Amino acid sequence: MRLFLKHIGFVLLLFIGVSSAIAYGSLWALRQGSFYKPSFLERQVASSSFDYIVLGSSTGLTTLNTQVIDSVLGTQGINLSMDDTALSSQYLMLQHFLGSGKQTPVCILAASILDYDVTDPVLSGNDYRFLPYGSEGYVQAYYDSFSDDSAWILSNSNWFPMLGVGYFNVELFYPSLVSLIEPNKRNRFDAYGNYSYPTTTQVSRPIVLRHGKTLQFKNPYFKKIQDLCAVNDITLLVYIPPHKTLAVSTGFTSFSVINHSDLLQDGLYFYDDFHVNGL
Amino acid sequence: MLFNSLDFAVFLPLVFILYWFVFKRWLSAQNGLLLVASYVFYAWWDWRFLGLIVFSTLVDYAVARGLVKAEKSQKRKLLLGISLICNLGLLGFFKYYNFFVDSWVDAWGRLGVSLSAQTLSIILPVGISFYTFQTLSYTIDVYRKQLKPTTSMIQFATYVAFFPQLVAGPIERAKQLLPQFATPRVFNSEFAIGGVSLIIWGLFKKMVVADNCAFFVNQLFAGSGGYSSAELFLGAVLFAFQIYGDFSGYSDIAIGVARLFGFRLMTNFAFPYFSRDIAEFWRRWHISLSTWFRDYVYIPLGGSRGSKWLQIRNVLVVFIVSGFWHGANWTFIVWGGLHALLFLPLLLQQKNRQYIQETRIQLYQLPRILYTFVVVCFAWVFFRADSLSLAWAMLEDVLSFQSVTLQVFYHSSKSVLLSAITVFSILVLLFYEYRAVQNNQREVILTPYEAVFIAILLVFMGVYKNPADFIYFQF
Repeated sequence: MRLFLKHIGFVLLLFIGVSSAIAYGSLWALRQGSFYKPSFLERQVASSSFDYIVLGSSTGLTTLNTQVIDSVLGTQGINLSMDDTALSSQYLMLQHFLGSGKQTPVCILAASILDYDVTDPVLSGNDYRFLPYGSEGYVQAYYDSFSDDSAWILSNSNWFPMLGVGYFNVELFYPSLVSLIEPNKRNRFDAYGNYSYPTTTQVSRPIVLRHGKTLQFKNPYFKKIQDLCAVNDITLLVYIPPHKTLAVSTGFTSFSVINHSDLLQDGLYFYDDFHVNGL
Repeated sequence: MLFNSLDFAVFLPLVFILYWFVFKRWLSAQNGLLLVASYVFYAWWDWRFLGLIVFSTLVDYAVARGLVKAEKSQKRKLLLGISLICNLGLLGFFKYYNFFVDSWVDAWGRLGVSLSAQTLSIILPVGISFYTFQTLSYTIDVYRKQLKPTTSMIQFATYVAFFPQLVAGPIERAKQLLPQFATPRVFNSEFAIGGVSLIIWGLFKKMVVADNCAFFVNQLFAGSGGYSSAELFLGAVLFAFQIYGDFSGYSDIAIGVARLFGFRLMTNFAFPYFSRDIAEFWRRWHISLSTWFRDYVYIPLGGSRGSKWLQIRNVLVVFIVSGFWHGANWTFIVWGGLHALLFLPLLLQQKNRQYIQETRIQLYQLPRILYTFVVVCFAWVFFRADSLSLAWAMLEDVLSFQSVTLQVFYHSSKSVLLSAITVFSILVLLFYEYRAVQNNQREVILTPYEAVFIAILLVFMGVYKNPADFIYFQF
């Protein structure tokens, strides 16, 4: 038994040592690059003060083009939206923005309209992108606040990074190699954080029917975002992006809402029901 | 419980510690622990079907005890019949009931007679095809007086439910495995180290090779069309590696885990894609099943004795039954039949045993190896496709040579990445297997540094987020 334990111990220690070194290196490389938004914000965005920021999911990423807005209004903004994320991730991104020592007087929230009334939020599909900053208290607390397997893995990756880097190897390990070779490479967003979906049709298709949907803003992370904005003297502005099949109403709210859900009247401008295209 | 799950990563060390440190000097307690662990392992999936294992165990234990006492041939046949009916009845009901009903209705429908029949919503209990064959072999061997039945219920129950090989084999013969439960266990470090090495290698085959292949195979076999001949051909090749990595990976882990508890299980795969003809392929692929059919179906039918026609019949029966064992679908039957057609010419020319002694391969044999691999891949198309019509359509598309584009492998950055991982992992697999073949080994043996290397590949190339189920669980 002693020989067995010695052998297995050696193999295990060597394996954990090498894997952990690779995983630490991988997270370090991601922090040095701009592949995902969290490290892009830290590494490539020189300015520390913005007139506004855009937080959101893929709808915010593709609808509000900060370069266009700035060219019209003469402002300086940045789009911090990330695809396949929920309000919880947007709250984390706001914490990350503030934690990076940056500031803004206005936060435009352009989350998915389906997310505002989720009462039992779960970890979003792309929250692993904050893992390179897992040692930050707010990131650790965020992962700890969820109970599914992915959250457990991310939460324990702070002291055992091969867990998270291994589990999300396609999403973290290989992009870290890209970041090593090309630190300025960004994953589907431009230097202002914007991205456009491709135009799939050139045919005009007038939209004749939209179903009604009323938002209640029941998601607990919406309240957290409101509170964080209030504490940091940031004005929160909810932007409801154009939708192909839904006309959204919000009733009376204590915060400002720009509702563009039924603004576009032609299907030509849509990539799918939720997203506008590059037109 | 799955071998590639966190649950198992906790379960295995726990059972190992109890087994070797708490119950070390107490054989019956070690067997009892293995029995409880095996039932927990199975119940983790669905505790309701545990009753089937217990039922099968009780029936065959009682039948075997009865066979010892029974002297009259008629009574012995009756007892054997009870075992066959109970085991094959369970298998038939859970696995084949709906298939027979559908086929019956379909056959009458083709004759213009419309029948309506009720099919049932039946869940296939995991591992039923494996443990029923295992218990059957026990009863048949006792009936043939080739094996003395055990008097220990615990040992027999543990033999039937032994968790490393319970749900996907190897299908162990009682003659080989049962006596090991009666033998006091002595920990052998070298043996256990070999087991750990096999576990690592098996996990690599499953989680790196098979699960990365699955990403492309699932797209290409979805039946949506629109893929080029080259893409579909590569889809069949990738499925060959997927099913091999998946199933042989499971067997390697099972054998490795059993070694940690001092048990020796039979080799189930011996590098089948280095076979030089179909006969050799079947001596290297799913060995525990092919030898089971050889001993309990082929030889009782007459084997290779008798006239040519009898030989042909026996081969056809064995291959078709073997195909049918895999699943209640005509695709498996055709798959079995195809292999029979590929095997028969070798048998009739008496060339089916030409590579038995010659295990090392020579460079000039490469075309034969490639030919065997390609025909095996074509047969896999039937095995993998959801229906015969989809399999035919896919083969037609492959053979039409309509286009050689490989877009599915590079249409997105993720596809490019996964293509690279898949190709690299297959090359690693072939490298280690080629080395083992040339060294006359029956399994891949890794040095400590190689084990670390493979484990690192497992971490950074394995599929964790949406792993594919073990394919053979559905059989």
